[in-house]
Amino acid sequence: MGAYFARRFLLMIPTFLGITFMVFLITRFVPGGPIEQMVLQLEQGGGKGGETGAAATAGAAQNTGRGSRIPPEVMAELNKKFGFDKPVPVAYAHWLWDVVRLDLGKSYKYDTPVIDLVTARFPVSIYFGLIGFTLAYLVCIPLGVMKAIHHGSAFDLVSSVVVFVGYSIPGWALGTLLLVYFGGGSFWNLIPLGGFRSPGWEQMDWWNKITDQVHHTIAPVICFAIGSFATLTVLMKNSLMENLGQDYVRTAFAKGLPEKRVIFVHALRNSLIPVCTGLGHAIGIIMAGSYLIEFTFNINGLGLLGYNSVIERDYAVVMGVLVINTLLVLVGNMLSDVLYVVVDPRIRFS
Amino acid sequence: MSVQPAQKPAGAPLLQVKNLQTHFAVGGMVAKAVSGVSFDLHKGEVLGIVGESGSGKSVTALSLIRLIPDPPGKIVGGEVIFNGQDLLKMPIEDVRKIRGRDIGMIFQEPMTSLNPVFTIGKQVMEPLLFHEKLSKAEARNRAIEALAGVGIPDAARRLDDYPHQFSGGMRQRVMIAMMMVCNPAILIADEPSTALDVTIQAQVLELMLDLRRKREGAAIILITHDLAVVAETCDRVLVMYGGKVQEASTVVDLFENPMHPYTRGLMKSIPHAQDKGKRLTAIRGNVPSIFDLPDGCKFCTRCPDVMDRCWTVEPELREVTPGHWVRCHLTEDKK
Repeated sequence: MGAYFARRFLLMIPTFLGITFMVFLITRFVPGGPIEQMVLQLEQGGGKGGETGAAATAGAAQNTGRGSRIPPEVMAELNKKFGFDKPVPVAYAHWLWDVVRLDLGKSYKYDTPVIDLVTARFPVSIYFGLIGFTLAYLVCIPLGVMKAIHHGSAFDLVSSVVVFVGYSIPGWALGTLLLVYFGGGSFWNLIPLGGFRSPGWEQMDWWNKITDQVHHTIAPVICFAIGSFATLTVLMKNSLMENLGQDYVRTAFAKGLPEKRVIFVHALRNSLIPVCTGLGHAIGIIMAGSYLIEFTFNINGLGLLGYNSVIERDYAVVMGVLVINTLLVLVGNMLSDVLYVVVDPRIRFS
Repeated sequence: MSVQPAQKPAGAPLLQVKNLQTHFAVGGMVAKAVSGVSFDLHKGEVLGIVGESGSGKSVTALSLIRLIPDPPGKIVGGEVIFNGQDLLKMPIEDVRKIRGRDIGMIFQEPMTSLNPVFTIGKQVMEPLLFHEKLSKAEARNRAIEALAGVGIPDAARRLDDYPHQFSGGMRQRVMIAMMMVCNPAILIADEPSTALDVTIQAQVLELMLDLRRKREGAAIILITHDLAVVAETCDRVLVMYGGKVQEASTVVDLFENPMHPYTRGLMKSIPHAQDKGKRLTAIRGNVPSIFDLPDGCKFCTRCPDVMDRCWTVEPELREVTPGHWVRCHLTEDKK
């Protein structure tokens, strides 16, 4: 089994290379890159606008040779600055070598190291992600169990409706609704309009710090978790119902065990297997943040950083965020495999 | 009336089943899986219940200790008297104290009847911890004893193995150990050897019969569709069809003098060595749908000797010769 995980671990390397190379390649050919933006600024600054559309749609590589009014030596310097002077594989190799040395490059826009941008925002995403994730599991597992035991009852039906309504609403749409109705507009003023903390949080006493933080947490966390509520609850319910119909449950009853022990020890232990193994996958996705929800609530998390960097063609940041997300998903998947082995004695990878 | 052997053994029966009726509600229709089964089980005897799939034999067995899944199943009538108490009327908590301690049950599917995520030791120890309130260490020793008793080699070490590490035959041994660990008065075995290799079948049956050596007067109800198994192991047999007992007698009597056309059909479908090369006789037709059983005799749709009144009037189960009960119009004139 150790060999299996070693192999599994080694397989992460080509996967990582594949994902990052693909995106790296795309950044090279997508129009509107940093050089074009800079060219645009220079041209507009010089009062020679008019060709903006053409410049914005043309590829960065072709840009150099075309009838631009930028002097060729300036152009070459720009290309060199952004690393566009080298062929893609060479540039990728350079980038990769930097990544291995934990150097993710420098943001074009902020002119700060990408690693600093990421490390500053990562805790924010983890904070919301972990709370939402824990909340989802804490609510969904008992709810799914209750629904399975009382299958077909009024409680089961009503909770199904609630859960599916929640599933149908995208988190960011719910966020907008919450802000409109509870954000202090024409209706109630229950939640702040956004942000991770209030301005001046540093100067508050500890009690106000906590309440302010909680105050800012409630709405985003609900939006983070709402989507996974339905899948997790229904997974838990179906899994338990399926197991309650298994032969070994009948055996447990035939042994004379109390109903509680049959359900909560024999059947539940088995039905938690699919729920547990989903945990690894979920961690990878949730920790990476959700840019739409971060956008809605104006939270400066990893998701928002990634979103803005794509819009602004801040490629170093795009790649930096991608590295973090890819690693999270790969490690999450690996964690799922480990959990399989931990919770199901039948599974022994070899 | 209750089916009884010719010479009543001394003492009250261990278990008395009177007019047991179990129905299943499926899609707005009612399936009368068991409709009025009565029999006595005496101390020390092995009672066989034989019949095809769908004859109601397994449902009868499950009904005895109220293991019928409800819904869709429901025991709608009858009595199951054990130790002077009706199991069907007592609170379910009290039935749970009897299950696994006084009445054990073994199922057909050894592959799925054990919980895959718990060690077999934990599963065999459970009845001891719950019924006899033993300490873990005591229960562990008893479990090792029980597993060794059913022929599991190196039982002390294998206690910590999981079910998937055992073969089908070994799992059925574990099942037997688990259900006999409290030395029950009655062991109900629902096709215990059907899913196993022929060579293992005999061993498994032998292990169950061992119970009578361990507990004086223990009785076994063996449900099977295999008449050969009945002939080898049982003292008395009930032949079931359409949710009813069609014939009941001692094994010897049944094989020497089968009276019900259905029983005779079953006997003819057993291959014999001397019939090599000949075509095997089978009972014609199929078991009728449980929703659509005939009004008269349940077997009339397939009976080779069917008469007009068989279609409308259901025969009574009567004692044709001492201890030999038959539900057939053909035998009514004989007494």
